[in-house]
Amino acid sequence: MGVCLIDDDQVYTFGFKKLINLRGLNSRVINFRDGSQAITWLTNPHNSHNLPDVIFLDINMPNMDGWDFIREFAEIKSQLGKKITIYMLSSSIDLNDIYRAKKITDVADYIFKPINEYQLNSIFANIQHGIDNRIFKNGTI
Amino acid sequence: MSFSEGHKFSEDSKQHLAQIIDNINAGIWEYNITTKNIKWSVGFYTVLGYEPDEIECSNHTFFEHLLYHQDKPAFLTALNSQPSNSTQPLQIRLLTKASGYHWFESTVKKYNDETGQIIYGSIININQYKQAQIQAAHNDLFYSEALKIAKLGSWELNALTMGLSLSKQFYDIYELQNQVRLSLDEVISFFEPPHRPVIKNAIDNAIEYCQPYDLELLFRSAKNNVIWVRAKGIPIINDFGKCITIRGIIQDIDNKKRKNLALESSLNLLTDQNRRLQNFAYIVSHNLRSHAGNLQFMVKLHDETELPDDKAEILSHIKSISDSLSATIEHLNEIVQIQTEITNERTVVDFETVFKNIISALKSNIDTLEATITYDFSRCPQIHYIPAYMESILQNLLTNALKYSSLERKPVIKCHTIKERNHIYLFFEDNGIGIDMERYGDKMFGMYKTFHQNPDAKGIGLFITRNQIEALGGTIKVDSTVNIGTKFTIRLV
Repeated sequence: MGVCLIDDDQVYTFGFKKLINLRGLNSRVINFRDGSQAITWLTNPHNSHNLPDVIFLDINMPNMDGWDFIREFAEIKSQLGKKITIYMLSSSIDLNDIYRAKKITDVADYIFKPINEYQLNSIFANIQHGIDNRIFKNGTI
Repeated sequence: MSFSEGHKFSEDSKQHLAQIIDNINAGIWEYNITTKNIKWSVGFYTVLGYEPDEIECSNHTFFEHLLYHQDKPAFLTALNSQPSNSTQPLQIRLLTKASGYHWFESTVKKYNDETGQIIYGSIININQYKQAQIQAAHNDLFYSEALKIAKLGSWELNALTMGLSLSKQFYDIYELQNQVRLSLDEVISFFEPPHRPVIKNAIDNAIEYCQPYDLELLFRSAKNNVIWVRAKGIPIINDFGKCITIRGIIQDIDNKKRKNLALESSLNLLTDQNRRLQNFAYIVSHNLRSHAGNLQFMVKLHDETELPDDKAEILSHIKSISDSLSATIEHLNEIVQIQTEITNERTVVDFETVFKNIISALKSNIDTLEATITYDFSRCPQIHYIPAYMESILQNLLTNALKYSSLERKPVIKCHTIKERNHIYLFFEDNGIGIDMERYGDKMFGMYKTFHQNPDAKGIGLFITRNQIEALGGTIKVDSTVNIGTKFTIRLV
């Protein structure tokens, strides 16, 4: 399973990767320091076979923040040819941020940092289930 | 030709004339100065409410009983004046039989005959007219005093001839000594330039579309006093619905309006401060939470990991979290300090001295970038300000300009001050990489907002700068073009 983390926090990125590694969750993790780097990578045709299944997106980032990324993503998602689930990830407990995220259809959920293990497991299980279903139906991903 | 001239009266007609005199609704009196003989017509008794001969016809009766004592000097003056002087009818108060003193008007004429000098006159009751006049004068005073207290001038515009009639109080508000005739354009020209089109449009609309108006506008009187006035006008229409007249008022509302504006601006300031405090609380919570969360996260991973290499790496992250935490707390401290320092005393700050100190503190940085820094504080060399704020503001702006300089050209940084009316402005300009105003304009002074991939960017400098400027009642504006440069316009006081 492909996992993408968009976050400027280097410590968190390290921890996130390490946790997935420690848990033995079978996945490839790619990460970007801000939204525009992610958009550039996602829209590059060379990467079309390695697109992630899930994106964990931080809100506060320099250059292109989480909200800007969602806007750009909405424009490019139809060209990607793969359903990507987005989780917003933030230390912000600002209710305005939470309501705003809940209103966006492209966002599956809003998760407080640091992500806890059970949440991570259930998200992974859900996505894996979705992938299995698609394989079962179409015989391919 | 008068009635008496050119007539020689017979004894019969004299009798007839006396009857007429006795029957008209006026009193005739006659006094022979030489013989002290006095005569009153029947009408004289009648207008006073008496039957003829009910009171004694004598000087004594007249001066001591009938004539109001305060009117005596005026009457005597009239009696003693030269016969040639055609005196104005005299207004005196006489005691009537039943209803107290009434106002009468009396003529005073003189002529000489063989018996001596004779003074005569006619009296008529003018009480009702006089009462009405007194009442009207009282009403006028009442009305004009009320208008004066309300500082309210009224006017009327004839929509056909565009002629204006203006009240006295109108001229008082305009502070014009003489009640000179004013055209509509002249009346409008007393409003401050930005408000002239507003009042002009309102009057045009009232004439053309019969729309009333009620405006609050800035006005400059003939004595150069700038005040707020309320200008209100209503159209008066004819039978065809066309506006023929505009009737309006102009009222001095300066006191109230200025209080209102001050209230409004302090409310805005408070709302702004409140919003910033709220925002500040969220930011603090966000930053502390993210560091604390990371710390928890790393400690947990540290516990779970067996590999010494991994443990060492995690520990290095824990160290960096610890550094970030202290830095964040340092920033919080700086921000809280803005509020505590605001009570510090303001002193005269010399722009050049402060700026030179900052330049020398940043010298190595400036030399490395080969930056040119020019300044001109000649138009406003000093300011009454909190010195620590001024140092911090100039340092942040300079650091910022150096940090975001373009790699394609050597930095050129310009700084100057001007004094305009009651305000002091600081301009700070660079030729750096600039910023996309449309995308980031509103966020530029936010806390922890960084827009470039600059490792030194902390997103705290401009946040603090804005807070310091606004804490002392100033404003900061930015204008920037990507790859051209950035210009800050700061109103310090």
